[in-house]
Amino acid sequence: MSVEAEPRMVGVDLQENEENRAIVEAVEADNEDLTVRHMPGLIRLTKPGRLVINQASVEQRLGRPWETHEFQLAIVSYFGEIVEWDDDEIVIAWKH
Amino acid sequence: MPVVAISEYKFPSKSRQELYGDDQLVHVWWKGNPWFVAAGCFRFPKAMPWGDFVGVLKGFYTADPDFVPDSLDSVQWVIDDQEVTPDPSASMEANGVGHKSLVQFSV
Amino acid sequence: MSVPTQKPVRKLSMKQRYSALTHDLDWPLSYVEEDDAFPYTKFEGIKVHDWSKWEDPFRLTVESYNKYQAEKDRRLYAVLDGFAQSQGQLSLSDASYMNAMKIFLQGIPSGEYQAHRNFAHLARYLNGPGARFASLCQSMDELRHAQTEIHTLSHYNKFFGGMHDWNKMSDRVWYLSVPKSFFDDAGTAGPFEWLIAIGFSFEYLLTNLLFVPFMSGAAFNGDLPTMTFGFSAQSDESRHMTLGLEGIKFMLEQDEDNLPIVQAWLDKWFWRGYRLISLVAGMMDYMLPKRVMSWKEAFELYFEEQMLNGLFKDLAYYGIKPPRDVEWAIQEKEILSHQVYWILYQFSHAAAFTTTVPNAQDQAWLAEAYPETWPIYKSVVWDKAQKVMDEGGRYFNPGLPQLCQVCQIPMGFTEPGDPMTQCQRHSIYEGERYDTCSDGCKWIFEREPEKYVQAWLPVHQIYQGNCGGPTLPDVAVWYGLEPGDGGEYVGSMDQLDWAAWHASTVKEG
Ligand SMILES: [Fe+2]
Ligand SMILES: [Fe+2]
Repeated sequence: MSVEAEPRMVGVDLQENEENRAIVEAVEADNEDLTVRHMPGLIRLTKPGRLVINQASVEQRLGRPWETHEFQLAIVSYFGEIVEWDDDEIVIAWKH
Repeated sequence: MPVVAISEYKFPSKSRQELYGDDQLVHVWWKGNPWFVAAGCFRFPKAMPWGDFVGVLKGFYTADPDFVPDSLDSVQWVIDDQEVTPDPSASMEANGVGHKSLVQFSV
Repeated sequence: MSVPTQKPVRKLSMKQRYSALTHDLDWPLSYVEEDDAFPYTKFEGIKVHDWSKWEDPFRLTVESYNKYQAEKDRRLYAVLDGFAQSQGQLSLSDASYMNAMKIFLQGIPSGEYQAHRNFAHLARYLNGPGARFASLCQSMDELRHAQTEIHTLSHYNKFFGGMHDWNKMSDRVWYLSVPKSFFDDAGTAGPFEWLIAIGFSFEYLLTNLLFVPFMSGAAFNGDLPTMTFGFSAQSDESRHMTLGLEGIKFMLEQDEDNLPIVQAWLDKWFWRGYRLISLVAGMMDYMLPKRVMSWKEAFELYFEEQMLNGLFKDLAYYGIKPPRDVEWAIQEKEILSHQVYWILYQFSHAAAFTTTVPNAQDQAWLAEAYPETWPIYKSVVWDKAQKVMDEGGRYFNPGLPQLCQVCQIPMGFTEPGDPMTQCQRHSIYEGERYDTCSDGCKWIFEREPEKYVQAWLPVHQIYQGNCGGPTLPDVAVWYGLEPGDGGEYVGSMDQLDWAAWHASTVKEG
């Protein structure tokens, strides 16, 4: 395998449902170069480098308060490392 | 390498020969025929004559519709990676078949 | 919707709350030595200098854990009720789909329960409070998984064969010794090896291959309860993956001397886990009437792309290399499912699921998914199996197979690059011969022969007379098999019932 100039991909798989649509829209808005793939029951979001889920963006689209812990109800799987899970954001990236 | 453990770690084999009395397990592999997905495992008396053993196989492999039983009379037998010409009247043990040995042939 | 609609006013941030409710609840020991309180964290050779460095990125507290787990269960049980009330079993893609769920029920909940027990052990015996709390959460999750799986699939037990004695079967039946021995192996290791075995190698490296395509497959085949259960469990899995990743990084960061130990465990458990989920490969490609993706595609996506091109570059920082037998697994992706299903096909008379020759539609899919290898298997085995069927027969292997001493799967895997020659590996230990299916299993055996000489190999146990009697019918009774559980799908009770339910007059299940 050669050394890539591109940052490595990270990603997250979410359950496809009404509520998660707001999360997907928020992630799409806040992350450039996001790839969205639909599979039965699932939405897969991938992106080179670093993927951010912002509380404020999700709340704006949901129209109600949303605490980042709620993301646990949406997530099916991920790859990368959860480098931050705080009140206002969740960040998935590789550390090294 | 020994198992890293909190105390001495030593247990007998759960399939050692003595558990089978005068018998032993024998693996038989028709190499190159995927119809039988894996080698077969049999329990046979150590004293069973090789010829009787081949007789059992002639019946067993009829589960392959393309099998010709007499073809087993002219195969090259291999026991535990050694090509051999077994003596049909001598026992399997005398012919070099041990516990869990692999007897292989191809047609 | 029971998630709170009002944001509670909080004095502490998430970070502070987590710290206050996990790490800060710990206390220094005063009248016992640390080694007496935590007697199992030294013997494996892992050196830990500072347990407080273990952080759970999820920052879960008991309160938030309970709240979200309860919500997950509520959502699941709502779906289960709706499905049962609407006779959802009638809208599955086909009755043959259930075969995949039979294997799932027979093999998985007991594994979940084992995971529950061993994480409970870690929740007591790891020195650090962060690590203990994450283990406690996982322990409770695994119990929930076992219970919800059993509950979810119990609905199908009213209508389909093979699901009535899953618990007894998981303890006794030949193919179920594969998952059982896997968890026995991991559970009898020390706590750090368990973390690498289950937390890291299984949960992080491989579980996506098991759950994601499978649950997506359930969605595609009209199996709403399994899909919902699967996604519900999988949402916990994200936390488990994190625990595994945190675990391996913690060990690597604590002391350089831990690297070779961790690497060897990783090499072992990658292969153990990979061999275990080969059963899933056969299920995915052959047992789902409608497929989402092939095993090969899932392997490329979830393993090669995410793990080899992502994770292992990260771990290279610590000196970790990809698992020693990874190349073998990569080349096997073209043939693995063909081989596994051919094993299941010819021994399904002694199983609690049915199999059949892939129909025209299945064959078209297989030809597209595996353009190189499917034609070989079609011409060499399946056309012949179909011919036997056409002549009124059904091919079952008349004997018992040679089993791998380590993974316990019948030795039907082949040499790399030679799909017609089964791979035979042998080791002699204390004068006795032991057989393994691959370089990976052979290496594992020779690393710890004392462990694997005790393997409860179903075939050997039958020959020793420990499985109900000398004949196949005796063994079937001891396995808990009933008429209609196993054998050929065409003409099976499941298929006939299914046809009757969909005939103009719907009879009672
Ligand atoms: Fe689980
Ligand atoms: Fe093996």
